[in-house]
Amino acid sequence: MRDTVTQLRKEAARLLKEGSVKYVIGYAQGTDVARAAPFFATVPGQVNTLTWTPFCVPNLVKYLLDFRYEDARLAVVVKGCDSRAVNRLIQDHQFPRERVVVLAVSCGGMLDRDKVLAVVEPGAALLEVEDRGADYVLKTDRGEFVFEKREALLAKCLECVDNAPVVADLVVGRQVSPPGRPGVDRFAAVRALERLDAAARSAFWDRHFSRCLRCFACRNVCPACNCKECSLEQAVPGWQQGVCWLSKRTSLGLNHMFHLIRMYHVTGRCIDCGECARVCPVNIPLRELYRKVAKDANELLGMSLPGLDPEEKPLLTTYQATDPDEFM
Amino acid sequence: MSHENPLLPRPATIQKIIPETGDVKTFRLTLDDAEAMAAWHHEPGQLGMLSVFGVGEAMFSISSSPTRREYIEFSIKRMGKVTRALHELEAGCQVGLRGPYGNHFPYEKFKGKDLLFVGGGIGLAPLRSLIDFVLAEENRGDYGRVEILYGARSYDDLCFKYDVLDGWVRQPGTVVYTTIDRAEERWTGHVGFVPAYLEEVAPTPENKYALICGPPVMIKFVMQALQKLGFREEQIYSTLELRMKCGIGKCGRCNIGSKFVCLEGPVFNMVEIGQLPPEF
Amino acid sequence: MERDRLAAFLDQIATRYHLVAPVAEDGVVDYRRVDDARKVVLDELSTVPPKTHFFPQTEELYSYSTVTGLEIKEIVGAPAAVLFGVRPCDLKGFLALDPVFAGRFRDPYYWSKRERTIIIGLSCTTVQSTCFCQAFGGSPVDGEGADVLFTPLEAVYLVEILTSKGEQLAAEFSTFLGTEGVEEALRGKEALARELDGRFIRQVDLEGVKEKADRMFDHPYWRRLARRCLGCGICTFLCPTCHCFDVVDENRGDRTGLRVRCWDSCMFTDFTLHTSGHNPRPSKTERLRNRILHKLKYHLDRYGLHGCVGCGRCVAKCPVNIDITKVIAEIREVD
Repeated sequence: MRDTVTQLRKEAARLLKEGSVKYVIGYAQGTDVARAAPFFATVPGQVNTLTWTPFCVPNLVKYLLDFRYEDARLAVVVKGCDSRAVNRLIQDHQFPRERVVVLAVSCGGMLDRDKVLAVVEPGAALLEVEDRGADYVLKTDRGEFVFEKREALLAKCLECVDNAPVVADLVVGRQVSPPGRPGVDRFAAVRALERLDAAARSAFWDRHFSRCLRCFACRNVCPACNCKECSLEQAVPGWQQGVCWLSKRTSLGLNHMFHLIRMYHVTGRCIDCGECARVCPVNIPLRELYRKVAKDANELLGMSLPGLDPEEKPLLTTYQATDPDEFM
Repeated sequence: MSHENPLLPRPATIQKIIPETGDVKTFRLTLDDAEAMAAWHHEPGQLGMLSVFGVGEAMFSISSSPTRREYIEFSIKRMGKVTRALHELEAGCQVGLRGPYGNHFPYEKFKGKDLLFVGGGIGLAPLRSLIDFVLAEENRGDYGRVEILYGARSYDDLCFKYDVLDGWVRQPGTVVYTTIDRAEERWTGHVGFVPAYLEEVAPTPENKYALICGPPVMIKFVMQALQKLGFREEQIYSTLELRMKCGIGKCGRCNIGSKFVCLEGPVFNMVEIGQLPPEF
Repeated sequence: MERDRLAAFLDQIATRYHLVAPVAEDGVVDYRRVDDARKVVLDELSTVPPKTHFFPQTEELYSYSTVTGLEIKEIVGAPAAVLFGVRPCDLKGFLALDPVFAGRFRDPYYWSKRERTIIIGLSCTTVQSTCFCQAFGGSPVDGEGADVLFTPLEAVYLVEILTSKGEQLAAEFSTFLGTEGVEEALRGKEALARELDGRFIRQVDLEGVKEKADRMFDHPYWRRLARRCLGCGICTFLCPTCHCFDVVDENRGDRTGLRVRCWDSCMFTDFTLHTSGHNPRPSKTERLRNRILHKLKYHLDRYGLHGCVGCGRCVAKCPVNIDITKVIAEIREVD
């Protein structure tokens, strides 16, 4: 992974020096050995802070929207899963293609932080990482540690069978194989839930939704959520006069409403990056909600994974005469 | 009903609604509980929380002087959810009232001095509570000359016309300067913005306090004009407003630095404002 | 108390009080009412702090009706409760919240619960990588803020009675408590404190930070820091000292309804948005700066108490690794 880091820094420095981008959005080493934080490089002198490790989990594409109204070009580092978000933002006319330089990295999988911290001291300094295909070797100032991918990767990475970026201006680093086994069913958990009877499924979601604090982290991290004012927050002065669709208060019913409405809102737009479930502080298995509608959309309307093709029209803005309509 | 609960509104009834402009109405309220109404006391510059049940609650300046014991007035511009609902009410309707909140104009300090009031638009509302307080018979002797300079976008937008063009004008030791932004046929008075008119009128700074209230941009230019006329910052007071929800310093929303506007404000001296972080 | 008697003790308490203690569900630990001591988990810091007991996410303030004239019914009052297993950092959190809800306007919703609850603190036996209570004058065995403090030792819990409420509880459940071996247990607690003292990974130096932050209001540092912030409410909601709330009306459409308060966050976009459209904190920069300054300075200025207790929850859960311990270090470093 050292080559990737070197190349990434070189490209970032070049882009910033040329002045062709205002920011390079990438990753920097985080505040413990098993974290990486989003980093915004603005001058060539900062590129040595950029890094590439198996802890570079956050999807950086959402940050493009923070610069929607600035006349600035941005470079963003993306993994295969993240890259779909770029296409989605372009498809929704949220960000123009010309203003983003996609620095794609071939990702061999992200390590599960908890599994790493169980073995490596959190205060250790990460010196270097080697991707040996079936495992990662973490070289720290407190020793070397080997993590077998099959055991230590994030669940979402173990399902990844295609890590090729769907859009890229530059591909950085050598190609590595996706860490998932072929034939994995991304709807497996959804099917398991579908097999439960209604009472059991209801109890499952009641249990999870009752913990929701309405922190909006899932919404804020999601590249599919790009409304300037969210209808699920509360009546915003000047916009929804007299209407309070959903306040920030919690109750089981309102929490259901929040999550199910958001689920419908991201139909056809969710790229299945899994960030929502990662950021939720109370461990709600949100991804399965969005995968459920994705599965339905796939079965009913032939939708494949959103974000693969920049030319593709968003699902809910198109129809065919042959679309199923048995509910009418 | 326990009134040790500061989040619980008291029922109040709208006695009269006085339309001031196309989008401002003055609501004259009394507390339903006669004892509570008799015990109500607010200071000039303080605030009250009005509830329209089922819609919401919002904080407003009390525009009547505490010397008027029979009622409490709020002059409210129709802008958002709660104010729109208020504007649809009629005399006889009940609302909720919590308060009084906030600090007040330090009128003790103003005794023996002349007072210059500079207001713009709805900004005259909080100033009015102090103007009527100072002009009240029982207090008038404590204060010197009163100068009121008030402006609005148009004749229609002048609030409290009955005071500004009539009542206050007739008060001894009181002079009122009124202006509107653009000339109109029915208006024979001054035409021009408040800061410019202020420079024309050129009030002197000696032995005087100035109180400004209006849109932020007006305050900024009036400040500059006053300083050009020789007023020092310590002589100038203004009110700050921020979004408020609890009104009692707990919900955390109205802080500017370490101060809560609902507790340590809304009245601030210009020197104090200079020490606050520029976040309002 | 013998360690193996804890479950029976808690079960007994549950017969006479609402027992609120940490329970785990789907990997999340939070404080809930328990009726069975076996559900209580005591080996880690809770995900959501126990401020939820005194200041819940959602609380109904009163109901109203305008059907026949205006009627308002307040919804206040709390059952007698025992809050068990509160960590020293969270105890400091309560002490930091108390002056907010007291003062000239005493909040009856908070205080009715606060006064009717007996707090049993629990000393820590491990230090997590995200812990830094020491920086703010705390320690893993400090019971300040509790009525009773339990310290887990090898065979026993040292039970220290700290207040008259604690005495009352101890008297009520005296059959579980003994004085044999107290001296040894006290020494055991001291040894534990010494051992844990050296285990803090995060070394946080607050010297001069408040004063420096005071002068840094317009510094470009805040903009750089805020770029990666998502503007969610995780840090505020998991923070033991955060207390911001919103008040909303719920209208049933039949001229009755409720007024409710719920958690709000200064990190949300419209927290300070005026109806006119003006927002004094229009971007993440201003909002994050306000949050950090509130934790490091404003709370201290107003109440003489730190706004941060070093629990580390925000550090653990921030999706983009905005780490207040690093912010403190960076404030010291920047020009």
